[in-house]
Amino acid sequence: MKENRIEYFEKYNNRTHFLGRVFTVLVLLLLLGAPFLIGAVLGAMPDLGAVGRGFLSVGLIWTISSVVEFLIYTPMLGAGGSYLAFITGNLINMKIPCAVNARDMAGVKTGTPENEIVSTLSIATSSLVTILVLALGVLLLQPIRGFLQSPVLQPAFANVVPALFGAMAYKYFRGNMKIAVAPLLLMSLLFILVPSLTGSTSMMIIPSGALAIGISYLIYRRQK
Amino acid sequence: MSVIAELNSLPLYLICGAIIAFVAVICVVFIVRAYKAGVAMGMDEKVLKRVVTSSATFSILPGVGILLGVIALSGSLGLPWPWLRLSVIGALHYEAQVAQAAAEHAGIGTLNPEAMTASAFATIALLMSICIMWGMVLSVLFNRGYLKKIGIKNPDQNETSLNKKSGFGDMAMSAMFIGLVSAYIGSYIGSFVSSDGLFSFRGDYLPLIVVFVSGLVMAIFVYLSEKKKKAWVDNFSVAASMLIGMTSAVLINLI
Repeated sequence: MKENRIEYFEKYNNRTHFLGRVFTVLVLLLLLGAPFLIGAVLGAMPDLGAVGRGFLSVGLIWTISSVVEFLIYTPMLGAGGSYLAFITGNLINMKIPCAVNARDMAGVKTGTPENEIVSTLSIATSSLVTILVLALGVLLLQPIRGFLQSPVLQPAFANVVPALFGAMAYKYFRGNMKIAVAPLLLMSLLFILVPSLTGSTSMMIIPSGALAIGISYLIYRRQK
Repeated sequence: MSVIAELNSLPLYLICGAIIAFVAVICVVFIVRAYKAGVAMGMDEKVLKRVVTSSATFSILPGVGILLGVIALSGSLGLPWPWLRLSVIGALHYEAQVAQAAAEHAGIGTLNPEAMTASAFATIALLMSICIMWGMVLSVLFNRGYLKKIGIKNPDQNETSLNKKSGFGDMAMSAMFIGLVSAYIGSYIGSFVSSDGLFSFRGDYLPLIVVFVSGLVMAIFVYLSEKKKKAWVDNFSVAASMLIGMTSAVLINLI
């Protein structure tokens, strides 16, 4: 029975990698082909020289950011979850918290087959719901556009990410204050002293996360 | 027909809608496969259903936030392209920044609907796709090898993996998330304290209040779930905490 489960999971995992790769390549081709197809419809092609110059000015930063995201989030999300997350985007503000929340709710541990299943289910569901919300929103946009864009509601939508991190902070900080205090203090101090860093918050996740991991390792060693 | 009218024309809706529909099919394929595999590996179906329910409710509010990003970009790029970008691969904080930089290099200066040309749009669209595709490229090339190197435990470890005290890998992932949240909350504190001059305390305080309110509401939900044994609130706790936190921003802004 145990052998069957090992074999089953290995087959499932191999198939996930196969499908993940095929789907990712197809989506890549579609995304890169779309500007040319739209250009053909509009009667004008992209200016490749301008694309090259634009890539050198902003693209390199995003390329480095992509490498960091790949290295950090792939183990967190597992195979199926990470293929899907990189296809559908919105990682920090939606997919990562969603998968972590699902993992905790299901009581599974990172790196286990259960986490692979839960993470894939969570990210696929989240992606599908986002697609449906956006499709419905675009369909109904004319009637709701005025309401959603009303100045009264703007502070709410400008604060979606703080609202998300407030809720998640309570969940994560409360059992782990020993781990959380130092990175929170260090980051606050850094952003207070160098306020221009707020434009690079996603890059500051690396030192903050490294410090948190270092402290948790010391605690782990002490507990052993 | 103006360029903006062309950017909102039926052919563009069809092109973008077809790609989005394809990605929706991919999601469905992964949901069905993962659910079946979970059942086959002996996971509790109730847990699997709760994962789906909570992930769906969790995603509705951020989804509405992303929809606002679509609306914001639709003024200069039309509706179909931002709809595609933010449904697939895009990120709210990324799109406007890259689109603006692309507009500069395409020679129209800013993302101005009156200055938009067909060629500038095609250039902007291609640069937006190229700049953010690297996560997908890395996934295709290295996902399998990277995960193999880190190692996923075999199912014969299941009996212990769900019950034993967690190993360092799990602690490290939680720590990484704590680091992520700390960086963002630190940025809100720094913005409030020093964005208008060092220690001026004249910056935007709304994000900090929203963090506090949504955290407080989350604490109430955790109390209900753990002390009052109302586990069903877990399905809605994050989304409801966010909604109340966001509402507090509206109320405070009105005062």
